[in-house]
Amino acid sequence: MLKRRLIPKLQMKSSSHVAGQLVLVTTVNFDRVIEIGDPVSQAKIYEAQAADELIFVDLDATREGRLTDVKNVRRAAEEIFMPITVGGGVRTVEDFRYLLSNGADKVTVNTAALKNTKLLTDASRMFGSQCVVLSIDYKKVSNGVYEVWSNGGTVNTHRDVTEWALEGERLGAGEILLTSIDRDGSRSGIDIECTKNVVSSVSIPVITSGGCGLARHFVEGFKEGGANAVCAGTYFSFKDENPMQCRAQIKNAGIPIRLHK
Amino acid sequence: MIKIIDYGMGNLLSVKNALEMVGADVEICSRPDDLNDAVRLVLPGVGAFRDCIGNLQQRGFVPVLNDLVLGKKIPIMGICLGMQVMAKKGFEQGECDGLGWFDAEVRRLQTINPSHRVPQIGWNTIEYKNNITLFNGLPEHPDFYFVHSYQVICKEADEIVAICEYDGPVTAAIYRDNIFATQFHPEKSQDYGLQILKNFIRWDPYRNA
Amino acid sequence: MSELIRCSKCVLPQTHETITFDNQGVCNICKGQEYKQDSIDWTSKKKDLNELIESHRGKYDYDCLIPYSGGKDSSWTVYYLIKEYGLKPLVVRFDHGFLRPNLNDNTMNMKRKLGVDFLDFTPNWKIVRKLMLQAFLEKGDFCWHCHTGIFSFPMWAAIKFNVPLIFWGEPSAEYTAYYSYDQPEEVDEKRFNRFVNLGITADDMYVRLGGKIDRRELKWYSYPSLKELRKLNYRSVCLGSYIPWDPKRQAEILAKEIGWSGDKVENVPAQYDYEKIECYMQGVRDYIKYIKRGYTRPSHLASLDIRNNRMNREDGLAMAMKYEGKRPPSLDIFLDFIGLTEKEFLEIAMAHQVSPHVHDPSAIIPGEKLHDYAEWSTEGKMPREESIEQLNRWKEHRR
Repeated sequence: MLKRRLIPKLQMKSSSHVAGQLVLVTTVNFDRVIEIGDPVSQAKIYEAQAADELIFVDLDATREGRLTDVKNVRRAAEEIFMPITVGGGVRTVEDFRYLLSNGADKVTVNTAALKNTKLLTDASRMFGSQCVVLSIDYKKVSNGVYEVWSNGGTVNTHRDVTEWALEGERLGAGEILLTSIDRDGSRSGIDIECTKNVVSSVSIPVITSGGCGLARHFVEGFKEGGANAVCAGTYFSFKDENPMQCRAQIKNAGIPIRLHK
Repeated sequence: MIKIIDYGMGNLLSVKNALEMVGADVEICSRPDDLNDAVRLVLPGVGAFRDCIGNLQQRGFVPVLNDLVLGKKIPIMGICLGMQVMAKKGFEQGECDGLGWFDAEVRRLQTINPSHRVPQIGWNTIEYKNNITLFNGLPEHPDFYFVHSYQVICKEADEIVAICEYDGPVTAAIYRDNIFATQFHPEKSQDYGLQILKNFIRWDPYRNA
Repeated sequence: MSELIRCSKCVLPQTHETITFDNQGVCNICKGQEYKQDSIDWTSKKKDLNELIESHRGKYDYDCLIPYSGGKDSSWTVYYLIKEYGLKPLVVRFDHGFLRPNLNDNTMNMKRKLGVDFLDFTPNWKIVRKLMLQAFLEKGDFCWHCHTGIFSFPMWAAIKFNVPLIFWGEPSAEYTAYYSYDQPEEVDEKRFNRFVNLGITADDMYVRLGGKIDRRELKWYSYPSLKELRKLNYRSVCLGSYIPWDPKRQAEILAKEIGWSGDKVENVPAQYDYEKIECYMQGVRDYIKYIKRGYTRPSHLASLDIRNNRMNREDGLAMAMKYEGKRPPSLDIFLDFIGLTEKEFLEIAMAHQVSPHVHDPSAIIPGEKLHDYAEWSTEGKMPREESIEQLNRWKEHRR
């Protein structure tokens, strides 16, 4: 049986304390930044703890108008053997190719896909839809109403999340990565409603992210939200928790998930 | 020296890193001539069937591979699309001929349950034939990472040596003589994946299965 | 007692790391134990051990390296490898800072009665207390320096002294399911990253400290690179993967043969004097676990005894209830070391509760002082300005 997936999120940013170093950070509402570690070191730790996949996001890339920094991904890829999704600043099919040949198995695209709908189609035709992850950041407006935000959560597109997800699928995305800006780093739980809406509308896998603070939240994301995967950044960084402990707790709730290695 | 075939498609770096992690000497080869002194071969692949066979043909790999694999019986391992292209025919974006090393067809995954989405992306448990030494050291129900929309259906059921369950049995690995191939990605399947690669670098198709 | 679901066989609750339950409510650690007792071919493992040892004997300045603390497991490892195999080991101790007097006696006895080369290393205390506070804040576990130092430093020693074979004591499967018995447990970087370092390497700790200490201070807490270790052709294994591990029996033999003695531990029944005797912060460690997870050392000990048929479950539960939930006197010393008030300590510990457990501070009663309490060093208290800085940064993050 296909298992649900636990995906740690590794967000990279230039350090404010350690000059010239790209560090891992957690964020709160896409805003407040806390430096928590070294990207390669954390990737190796997650490999040892048998995370199902990793997502690397370069938070500065879009803002600085450049492509994701691949140095750390390449180094990490030497010692980690699980799927890696990479994103941040991806704008063209060439960007896809570059990342895929530098350690990425999947590439996530966000703002650029909103601006250029051909990107999803072209990338998916060239590399296969399974390499193309459409990343959607959103905020809740009111019950049942969710809007897509772009440019690292700074521009409101006023588009409906489910509608964009559906179109993304139609255009060629192989997977959706949904991130709640409101709940990012809040530890208050996943937005089940939005997750459920998207999951029941599209027929491609959905990864939900934003808000995990307890093991229970993962369970809710899978059970009530119906997500295929839950992605967490803050959760593993500030508690005596790790993917191995977490998946045991998820399994105990009756959800099919990998155990041990 | 293990040679990985670079025909412009596939996550070659991961395969190389994984093989090196288990102690192999590995080289990535983008020219068919460079394959001639290979002790073992690896055919990876990510993308579409048509592009894959097209690239292999354009770059002159097909006759060299046929000679090395079918003629000289060099052990070869195919991964994902690399496995699919070993079939006779593929049906992705229309009908297309493959390498024909297996009497098999590559067809789109059929799922009934709406929760079983296509592509299959994620970790799934395999059932495997445990008389195949390539599966040595694995527990009874290991999980591997799959990411695919098509599967290989062999006419000879015996050639299917592992399956996974995804709304019905889905081919996970095939094997014949000196040719072994997995639908899942061993280089992405952590310790069990590395175990299979370790077994591959020690595999002697003529002494053991 | 809180309403935690406990294993139907032992008494470990759902908040225990890596625990899962089967349809009968039996936990995976109990089931792993069953495997150990029924399915492991110890004869074949002993043969493997013989081969491993012979392939290294006499080829280097030392036949093997044994990381040592003075507790029952490392003492047994040294004793066994010398008595059974006549090996010449390099015994290496990383001093975490809280060694108890009895331990020093054990160590002296070991050195004098068995005769070994002994390498002892104590890291910079001012860095240690900083690391203790940071780890406590961020992971609810102040022992990061100890976990990492104890597993990394001997590897550096192995490289420096060119001793490829390293023997540790018991396999972790006795306690958790990070590894199962049928997996050969190499004590390597993967294991280090899996659960030894709490998910933080020295590189990560440097970032978390805001780059405010000399990077070199973290060297002995970093695991050496795979490249260096492969050059050494290292084998880092648990002796307990090759021979059955019975702590009680081993402790008895050690007492008789080398004058090893156990010690009473804070808030643990007196008869368990062979476990966790090395550290005078053990009581605080156990107390924090109780706050976070709603169970602590007595549950562990009862569970081990239940699995070894030395106790029934009812008595195990009763023992846990009687001995858990007590405040250790060592907490006062700990608070000085990391420069916090008890109120702050509680706030931090409770921030790390593992669901569904919820701690009730009002139910805590004071525990007893141990006999050597007065001998524990209280030197090196952290200045309040220093701890406040770290504390405030943590609070800021949680806003």
